[in-house]
Amino acid sequence: MPKPSDLLQGTLDLLILKTLATAPLHGWAVAKRIQVLSGEVLAVGQGSLYPALHRLEQQGWLRAEWKDSDLGRPAKVYSLTRAGRKQLDRELDSWNRLCSAVQLLIETA
Amino acid sequence: MRVYRVFMHRLRSIFRKSRADADLQREIEIHLEQLVKEAVASGMNESEARMMARRRFGPLERTKEECRDTRRVDVIDNFTCDVRYALRIIWTKRSFSVPALLTLALGIGANIAIFSVVDAVLIRSLPYAQPEKLVGVSNSAVFSGQVINDWPLSLEMYAAYNQQAQSFADFGVWTPGAAAVTGAGDPDEVATASMTHGVLPALGVQPYLGRWFSSADEVPGAQKAVILSYKYWRRRFGGSERVLGQLVLIDFVPYQVVGVMPRSFEFLNVDPDVFLAQSVANGAPGSADADYSGVARLKPGVSLAQANQDIARVLSIWGAGNAEWGQALEELRVKPNIHPLKQDVVGDVGAVLEILMGALVIVLLLVCANVANLVQVRAHARRGEFAIRTALGAGRGRVASQLIVESLALATLGGAAGLALAYAALRVLVTHGPSTLPRISEIAMDSTSLLFALACSLLSGMLFGFIALLKSGFSSRLQNARGSSPSAEQLRAQNVLVVAQVALALVLLVGAGLLVRSFIALSAVKPGFTHPEQIQTIRLFIPEAQIPEPERLAQMQADILHQVAAIPGVTAAGFATALPLELEYHNGVPVSVEGKTPVGRIPPNRTIKYVSPGLLFALGTRLIAGRDFAWSDLGSQRRVALVSQNMARENWGEPQDALGKRIRIGADGPWSVVVGVAENVYDDGVDQPPPALVYFPGVRRGVTFALRSTRAGTEGLVKEITAKVHVVDSSLPLVNVRTLSALYRSTMERRSFALVLLGIAAVMAVTLSIIGVYGVLAYAVAQRRKEISIRVAVGAEPRTIKALFLRQGLILTCLGGAVGLVSARGVSHWMSSLLFGVTPADPLTFGVSGAVILAAALAASYVPSRRAASLHPIEALRSD
Repeated sequence: MPKPSDLLQGTLDLLILKTLATAPLHGWAVAKRIQVLSGEVLAVGQGSLYPALHRLEQQGWLRAEWKDSDLGRPAKVYSLTRAGRKQLDRELDSWNRLCSAVQLLIETA
Repeated sequence: MRVYRVFMHRLRSIFRKSRADADLQREIEIHLEQLVKEAVASGMNESEARMMARRRFGPLERTKEECRDTRRVDVIDNFTCDVRYALRIIWTKRSFSVPALLTLALGIGANIAIFSVVDAVLIRSLPYAQPEKLVGVSNSAVFSGQVINDWPLSLEMYAAYNQQAQSFADFGVWTPGAAAVTGAGDPDEVATASMTHGVLPALGVQPYLGRWFSSADEVPGAQKAVILSYKYWRRRFGGSERVLGQLVLIDFVPYQVVGVMPRSFEFLNVDPDVFLAQSVANGAPGSADADYSGVARLKPGVSLAQANQDIARVLSIWGAGNAEWGQALEELRVKPNIHPLKQDVVGDVGAVLEILMGALVIVLLLVCANVANLVQVRAHARRGEFAIRTALGAGRGRVASQLIVESLALATLGGAAGLALAYAALRVLVTHGPSTLPRISEIAMDSTSLLFALACSLLSGMLFGFIALLKSGFSSRLQNARGSSPSAEQLRAQNVLVVAQVALALVLLVGAGLLVRSFIALSAVKPGFTHPEQIQTIRLFIPEAQIPEPERLAQMQADILHQVAAIPGVTAAGFATALPLELEYHNGVPVSVEGKTPVGRIPPNRTIKYVSPGLLFALGTRLIAGRDFAWSDLGSQRRVALVSQNMARENWGEPQDALGKRIRIGADGPWSVVVGVAENVYDDGVDQPPPALVYFPGVRRGVTFALRSTRAGTEGLVKEITAKVHVVDSSLPLVNVRTLSALYRSTMERRSFALVLLGIAAVMAVTLSIIGVYGVLAYAVAQRRKEISIRVAVGAEPRTIKALFLRQGLILTCLGGAVGLVSARGVSHWMSSLLFGVTPADPLTFGVSGAVILAAALAASYVPSRRAASLHPIEALRSD
């Protein structure tokens, strides 16, 4: 198994918001999903996942509830708030701008 | 929405901190378990899997701490932590906090108490609906060059205003009085307010039972109507609802009860037991007497100026209708004076309260200065602690906020104690304050006082906190952990504080001193009567319904006088329509002087009194020329009069020259011959110039008896007098049973109230500034111990050391004194309305106050200076 590459600074919020955009998930599932969907390329360290989740919750972009889960016991399930969706759009925007800028630089330089 | 959720979330994390932590713990455990399960599924054994999971998860506690950090509640967390720490400091360092709390409690408490009074009397609006629309209606007129702003209305004026004024929604006039209620039960003396039907509707207070007066009640000859106060209704009628329609004998005239006012009703600044419907007859005798105060409610949208214009118009129409009054209006330059009703209610006590409030704010500033000193000394002693905290990473702001929080906690606690003090002080004030203090029943601690208390505490906390912060100068030099001498700027800041304290205390001392001087001047006034404590007074009113004939009335009064004069121990007796200082029976009547008053002009007003023979002797008023009245003057064809010395001097130059001259009431009354001149009497109060007095012998229904006896004021004497009066007529109630000195004192009440409170404030201020001076010098000595010991070691005389510190104290005090004298000179004219016989710039008061402050400050600096002088050189080695 190749070592998953480190996450680019600042993209973690985007990944979490995007992951939660389809369905509410608990922390473990968020980590798994990011890993799976990125084809095992991206792995989120737990040390940064949970502080990120808490921060997003504090900022009002996520809402958290203790719910029964597929883990067989209640887990803290995060879902996107309306404000969170808007934030996701903004983050996607800036990500796209960054990508095209980097692309442009690589192609022309 | 998001803001709300964020807010709620933060709130939760503060108040349910442990719960949030438990949640976090569980959330992370679940994750760990999943890692373990995954590992076990891939074939690892349990314990290996657990180790692996922990390794993969990384530093558990740091993750948790980072999660907690996202809650970002430092500000509040730190705050609660600071508060807890501050309370602990206050509790453990009691030698520091007890004096601080005590001075704060005194300063804040005094302010709350006086503020509550000021709020009830001056700030709060009157207890009527839409009080801003209520106005008092009186006239201004010029009497012998003096402008009188509260010249009352006559019933004739009332009738004119009532018919023609366009700016009033409701309007009425009233006059206070006293009456006897007889019939079932003992005769009862009641305070009355006679009023026209517009007064109660203007105030807008509905009766509790029955109705207001109507215009039908005012028609002369109609059934007379009375409305009872709630208090009197309960007392006399036991609160029975069947009282409506009942007849009550008031001054032997039957009145029908038409209503009862509610318990909460307050009638301006008087407290009548019954309200009587005033009968109004145009042109009837007495309807031209100006005795009535007007109350009106302005129509919506009408301003005071418009109302004044409107009434000026009515007044000129009225004057044009009657030649005599038209002339009077012209000569006296009568103008309407429509003013906010509150002015009538509050009266002249406003100035006193404003001065007191100002004085107490000064005291509070002094308190803040002293507490700032204490806090700063504490801060200085803790600079080692502060330095360590800074070294460990506390920001400067963090340390500063700690100091401010400590100050606020101190101030809040002090304020709470002050609140308790103020509560107690208010109870004393309400029971022992001057009875003339208006709206006294409204004085209470309420939400406004509480808010004021809170604002007072927080502001003073901020004030002394910041002063201490700036003074300790640690914001710029925290590194100074080792003990060394205080910086120059630090000392300078402290010195400025002492100078300010001495100056403020001196201002208060001068204020109190000026009042003391006024009091001494007042006591030195010879009032025109002697030993007022030996003069017993009783007022008797013999109503027309009982004794209609004037001859019988005169006989009855003479009988009563002879009866009471025969009581053992009574050395002299007499009666008059009004004794000196009996302001409620005051009058002003135009008196013409033969050959002096121009024909066809309205003569100036004089105070006239109808007196019995022997009254002047009983009062101790000396006759300067001529003779007193004799009983034979009463029935005689030859009308006689006495005048006061100033009246005689004004008209005839020498008192002797007045004898045999003729005077008369109004422009066309019968002439009376002046047979005697009496010394001046301070009839309006000793602080007012003595009025020109004219005495006539004569019969009036209401008279006050004056009995000179060493037993005056004792219950025994009053009982004997009552018995003697009842020998003549058993149904007469006795009123105003008091001594003349009680009356004398009550005219001084306003000033003595101000003196007592200002005196307390001044004593507090001087004490605080002594503490301030002492504190600063003691601190300076403590700080410079090492330096002093070295000086002593190298041969400095103790005397020199002592002089060094004494000089410092002296310089500070002199500076403060100079500033204080200048500021006192600037503000003392504010109290001129309270001063008597002394100018606001009285050099003696200023000199003595300055000397007192100087002496106090020197004494305060002597103790620390001596301590400095007695320091042993070995100290230099010991300390630090």
